Amino acid sequence: MERIPFLSGNEAIARGAVRAGLGYACGYPGTPSTEVVEELGRLDGPIVEWCINEKVALETAIGASLAGARSMATMKHVGLNVAADPFMTLALTGVNAGLVVFSADDPGMHSSQNEQDNRTFARFARVPMLEPSDSQEAYDFVAEAFELSEEFDTPVLFRSTTRLSHGRGRVVPRIALAVPERGYVKDISKYVMVPDYARERNRQALARLERLRSRSETTPLNVLEAGTADFGIIASGVAYAYAREAFPKAWFLKLGMSHPLPYQKIAKLNASVARLFVVEELDPFIEDQVRGLGLPVIGKEVIPSNGELDQEIVFRALEPVLKRKPPRRRRPTFPPPPVIAPRPRPAEDLPVRPPVLCPGCSHRAVYALLRRQKVAVMGDIGCYTLGALPPLLALESCLCMGAGIGMMAGLNKVAGRIAAVAVIGDSTFFHSGITPLIDARYNESAGLVIVLDNRTTAMTGHQGHPGTGLHPDRSSGPTLDIQALCGGIGVRCTTVDAFDEERVRGLLKAALAANELSVLVAQAPCALLDRTPKTAVLVDDERCNLCGLCIDLGCPAIVAGESAVSITDDCTGCGVCVAVCARGALTEPERVVP
Amino acid sequence: MNGATTVSLAGVGGQGIILGAAILAHAAMAAGFDVKASEVKGMAQRGGSVVSTVRFGRQVWSPVSPHADLVIATELLEGRRTLDLLAAGGALVYSTMVIAPGSVLRGEKAYPNDIEAAATARGVRLLGLDAEALAREAGTVRAANVALLGAASTVLPFADEHWQKALQLVIPAKIIDVNRRAFELGRDTVSQEVGE
Repeated sequence: MERIPFLSGNEAIARGAVRAGLGYACGYPGTPSTEVVEELGRLDGPIVEWCINEKVALETAIGASLAGARSMATMKHVGLNVAADPFMTLALTGVNAGLVVFSADDPGMHSSQNEQDNRTFARFARVPMLEPSDSQEAYDFVAEAFELSEEFDTPVLFRSTTRLSHGRGRVVPRIALAVPERGYVKDISKYVMVPDYARERNRQALARLERLRSRSETTPLNVLEAGTADFGIIASGVAYAYAREAFPKAWFLKLGMSHPLPYQKIAKLNASVARLFVVEELDPFIEDQVRGLGLPVIGKEVIPSNGELDQEIVFRALEPVLKRKPPRRRRPTFPPPPVIAPRPRPAEDLPVRPPVLCPGCSHRAVYALLRRQKVAVMGDIGCYTLGALPPLLALESCLCMGAGIGMMAGLNKVAGRIAAVAVIGDSTFFHSGITPLIDARYNESAGLVIVLDNRTTAMTGHQGHPGTGLHPDRSSGPTLDIQALCGGIGVRCTTVDAFDEERVRGLLKAALAANELSVLVAQAPCALLDRTPKTAVLVDDERCNLCGLCIDLGCPAIVAGESAVSITDDCTGCGVCVAVCARGALTEPERVVP
Repeated sequence: MNGATTVSLAGVGGQGIILGAAILAHAAMAAGFDVKASEVKGMAQRGGSVVSTVRFGRQVWSPVSPHADLVIATELLEGRRTLDLLAAGGALVYSTMVIAPGSVLRGEKAYPNDIEAAATARGVRLLGLDAEALAREAGTVRAANVALLGAASTVLPFADEHWQKALQLVIPAKIIDVNRRAFELGRDTVSQEVGE
């Protein structure tokens, strides 16, 4: 007879994930989360990586999910602080293939600098959270997490604590799940979180939360267990195990899916008992919400808010209360969740005026070439995010600062080739583009990182950064050279004039064919800061047939006339339109070299 | 609401909406009003639609309002768009200048030509002027926003000294004269119209 494995919670999570068709996993080590990636490294199937930090780990896992692989990022509780930036916006974009974020908390601080309760992150990001209470559940719930993630188009927070992660139990293996094949799907309004798209995704996330709450009512993960005593306990994770042992006769609502909470099930438990308790470690996460329903619940007034619980602490906390007379019963109320609808559009269909790349913007020059390549373009946050909007449609993701490079690495790792490149601004590169580049080098990920270097932090109004050395008081200091920095990391880097069409084209082609990691710094000062004299592009009205190729660049200086385009005074003569014109109708003035 | 007057300034990112709002707010303060204001920056500044709001009254709490008593628009389409902020009896002071957005440049949408009909239907008073031409006459096309403020001053309860003080406080000294001229030209345009 085959021996039933006796596994730690973390080992069970790893094996449960492989059983659920995990394609990619990564993490940054941190007690008590570390053994998930370690165990995965010993198993067949998924691509498994250590990443440079938790933020890059999550971003890379997001890239892998976009590529169609069920993915997981693992970290300890404080690691989610580092990954909070991608996590919070991932809650809006949702996923392609299932994506599970594993966070292991450390009540009692056995090996940590703080004791934060990461269940708050589930509520903060409005994403579902699963909390197993033993190794078998850890194994089983992972599959549930991936299914939920895909069904509801959301990341799932998989929350553990030290006693779950490092506790052991018998785990009966299950038959591997059949996972549907998925591929990368370009979907700009889903993955590019510029304000207009993000507002809509946010509304969808709120609606999703209510659908998840309905699921929380029906899922077998949330079990109402009848007892013979006259009191009931709501608990999740290991706290459930402690309470169950301390009070075997009590009624229980055991929450395997502890966010969003099943209000009806809580009401049902309340109606069945004379007194209601919440037993939970750390914060009154469940208690506050139950109290919000108008129920007289007993929790943190007797249960410690710090350190670990055990059955004895729980018993001693509840015992004196049980000796008192029960209070009067109350019926719960369910506050309706109002959502602010988009401002009603006026009856007239006026043309909208979204923000655009300025005339003479060097980003447009790069996008004009990049959008003809057959690669996904992972974006970032800055003026260049505007390249995602019509007519350029040259950018396919915008999650948080620095995310594009990790997402590119994850996508390419799963695809096994350069299926994606990343674009990032110079200031954003310094903000958080360096770490994922180091990570991509370490994990030998292929890809091309294009730094759109306009020598300033443009979108916010031209602030300084390490590349310019400029300070708020207008003094200047040493400047950091991106190409030299890349050399130190060991990544091939070329710096090129962003408007040198022929050279940029050639370098793009070469980088995409090479199937290795490289950086291209496409440099030209922000058009708003470039004070050199400008001469506008000239139009040959006879040759122009209004084909629309130049209009399609989205340059505000190009206006469609009756029979030919005309060029406004705002033209800087950058020449990007001249290069796309197929009829030689546009002529570049001699470029003035600063 | 609560006796506060709401003025919205609308235009295209880069047209000096935030500066215009600052002048207006300072004029209101010089006139002894409590003032609250709000502006939208960041992504919107790159050639997108922008709206800033200035609210003044005896005491003002909120910096925003879904309605306006007066809208000052530096571009025709943006003026047309913000008509919806105005109730009957409100006024729109706008520049007749046209900046076509991308969808119009690409021929996907038509630039609206119904501002007068729409204003009449809403019972909104219109004051349209070629603010760009006035500003150019004053010495710089960039002062179109201030020319519009001059026009708007004819329907706002601030004295000339309040406006002058506000201009002094907000506009850099080396371009103050051009802006004063633009303000006067804008104001006089409307005065003449009213006088006719």
